[in-house]
Amino acid sequence: MTWLNKNRNPLITALIILIALVLAFSGKSPQTTSSIILSGVTLAALYFLVASGVSLIFGLMDVLNFAHGSLFMFGAYAGWTFYTNPRLLFNTAPILLAVLAGLALSPILARFVALPRWARWLAVLFGIAMAIFALRDFPIDKLVAMGMSMTGKIIPTAEAQEPIATMLLRIGGMFIAGAVASAATATRSAERLEAPMSRTLGIVGGLVALALITLFVRDLGEQAILGTESNWRFLLALGVGAGTGAALGALMEWGLIRPLYARPIYQILLTLGLTFVFDQVVRFVWGPAGAFMEIPQWFNTSSQDCPSDNLLLWFSQHCDSIFVMGRPFPSYRLFIILVGAIMVLGIALLLQRTRFGMIIRAGVQDSEMVEALGINVRRVFTLVFAIGAGLAGLGGVVAAPFLGVYPGMAMEFLLQAFIVVVIGGLGSIPGAVVGALLVGLARAYGDHIVLAGIQLPWMTDAISGSPAIARASTVLIMAIVLFLKPTGIFGKKE
Amino acid sequence: MNQFIRNNLGYLLLLAALVILPYALALITGDPLNKGLPLFVQGLMIQVFILAVFALSYDILMGHTGILSFGHALFFGTGAYTLGILVKYGQWSIPAAIVAVVIIAALESFVIGVLSLRVHGVYFAMVTLAFATVAFILVEATDFKKWTGAEDGLHGIPVPDALNPALHRTEFYFLALAFAVMVYLLVKLFVDSPSGRVWAAIRENEARATSIGYNTLVFKVQATIISGIIGALAGVLNALWNLSATPQTMGVDTTINALLMCIIGGSGTIIGPMLGAGVLQLLGYLLNLWLGSVWQLVFGLIYILLVLFVPYGIIGTWRAKNFEWRAMWRDRLQRVATGTGKSSG
Repeated sequence: MTWLNKNRNPLITALIILIALVLAFSGKSPQTTSSIILSGVTLAALYFLVASGVSLIFGLMDVLNFAHGSLFMFGAYAGWTFYTNPRLLFNTAPILLAVLAGLALSPILARFVALPRWARWLAVLFGIAMAIFALRDFPIDKLVAMGMSMTGKIIPTAEAQEPIATMLLRIGGMFIAGAVASAATATRSAERLEAPMSRTLGIVGGLVALALITLFVRDLGEQAILGTESNWRFLLALGVGAGTGAALGALMEWGLIRPLYARPIYQILLTLGLTFVFDQVVRFVWGPAGAFMEIPQWFNTSSQDCPSDNLLLWFSQHCDSIFVMGRPFPSYRLFIILVGAIMVLGIALLLQRTRFGMIIRAGVQDSEMVEALGINVRRVFTLVFAIGAGLAGLGGVVAAPFLGVYPGMAMEFLLQAFIVVVIGGLGSIPGAVVGALLVGLARAYGDHIVLAGIQLPWMTDAISGSPAIARASTVLIMAIVLFLKPTGIFGKKE
Repeated sequence: MNQFIRNNLGYLLLLAALVILPYALALITGDPLNKGLPLFVQGLMIQVFILAVFALSYDILMGHTGILSFGHALFFGTGAYTLGILVKYGQWSIPAAIVAVVIIAALESFVIGVLSLRVHGVYFAMVTLAFATVAFILVEATDFKKWTGAEDGLHGIPVPDALNPALHRTEFYFLALAFAVMVYLLVKLFVDSPSGRVWAAIRENEARATSIGYNTLVFKVQATIISGIIGALAGVLNALWNLSATPQTMGVDTTINALLMCIIGGSGTIIGPMLGAGVLQLLGYLLNLWLGSVWQLVFGLIYILLVLFVPYGIIGTWRAKNFEWRAMWRDRLQRVATGTGKSSG
């Protein structure tokens, strides 16, 4: 009885959803039903990958990350670029690493340099000038165009990329720009002074070494990547997307959000500004038009045996689609569902079965108390931010062969993720799962209805609409949940 | 009366400068009012006035009540589209359409406020963003192309000649200026009213305002409605000025613009967001000339730097400094007067 009482809301919701499902599919054939449900779960998997990060980050540190959709998009672009045009990555990564190395000097600089106010402004100006100088005439458009024109082929290396010497100058310039910027913002906080010098030097040296190695192996690396079979290349791209997301997330938390914990509203303002900046960066580098990513061979073979009759046969045939209840369903989407399921399990295990997960759960309850127990909450914050962002980046690459990559995907997935967490309850992972499933199914059902048209009894003609209507309709579920239970299905009482 | 002039000297001078501006420009360049530079500057300033009102409506929420809305463009777009559709396809007169806009905006903001203000503050940001994005999607959808013009937007709103911004630029300039001044006075009235005090209390510490006995939800919804109506009216003026309503008016960029104006000018002050609108518009124009399409990226970076390093904006920072300077000089003068040579700080 107490169990019933405790889980009242989820149970009621489950009942309502069950009734809604029965009503929605009562007039449909089992084939239609199964394909709508599978499409819905596919979308739900992607929504979960974005929403879980938003929810975790908010739960632990009360930061609502409006840039999470952008992390998703950046992951997608990074993975796709790695897959089709690694040259762009090999030529830009050293420059970015050099700036980071310069910025990472800040604990050391804080020890020796304390600039007066006017000198700080001068240093900022000098740093900006240095960066502009170091990046002048960088052939980014040529580097991007190479990938667009010769997807997946081995490209001649002499064109588009600059000689090593020029690149070394750029790297040096950006390192100085980063160092000047960190000198300009360096403050003598106790935490910084405590950091051992050897560790800082290690980080800086490591970043510089990584930048140089990336630069010197760029030809070899590019050929190695493009020479890899598409399946393995895709798996590597998944790693690159997740890694990019995680690195960006950790950087955001460390460099931008951490200084603002005293001013919560400004954290949100900042993350909204970041969505804008990321959007502009993507448009600037890759152009406003989107692109499609090739589906890897495992999910893209077509022969006379295709579509595979069942899942077992698919393992030997690798067909692009599989018969589900007598209707072909793209096998790549089943892979998306698989990834989503693995991540749900992974997060559940991490949170429930590890020490780190225990700290996170405790932090969600009361982060001050956790700190009082002697646990470095800041490091946990950065790690959780990185995990959430990594999930989003992974989701981006997984979504790319299905939906393509385009600048609007950040806003689209941010919106859906928000609807998901509002429905499920901010800060709750089970809530994110249920919310994602609800929104995904509603979306798939909406798409079906919109295409097939609605005919209510008193109408003579069916009304059909554009997919935009289905996209917009998910907000209705959010409004209903907000009206009935403002904190969401799994939300805590305020 | 003298007291009034002395207290508001800065504002009165600014107003006088804005009134004289078109004539002064015409005098300097030798062009008539409806040609060349005077015409162009008037156009630029009209946009500044419209955006100033929009920024002000945004700041009622962010600066005065402490609620963060990320979907304020919804109201701007509502005003523009409602007016456009009613006047163009419904053959309504403009005053009637404006009344309709006010009613629709009030209903919209009431629903959004009641739905999302009952929980944690960030919900409002998420929910408004969701609603605004959905409105954007719907406006762009091909289903309603007949009325909204889908991606191209709604063009050719018929207005009487007297209101046509192309024919009567100077009249429109003064209309927009008068509108901005009126809204400024109105918002000042609201902020200084007893309700305004409660808004400030909610901004500073909502739990305390609740414990004193105020039903904070009522006041938050009230602020949302007022802000929504003023935002929609800014949208109306924008539609009259462009004679069109485009999906961009509903887009996230419009909201971010409003946010930027508040932050540049100084959120929580009434004149700040209006000045911010001027700075942003003129700076945007110059950066666009100078950098081309990269300017938006530069803008985003400037925004982030402002949030990190100049969070109180021009007016806020100036007031704080002004206060410090005054305190410093008062201190020094006192020391001179009393003859104690020792500094106190």
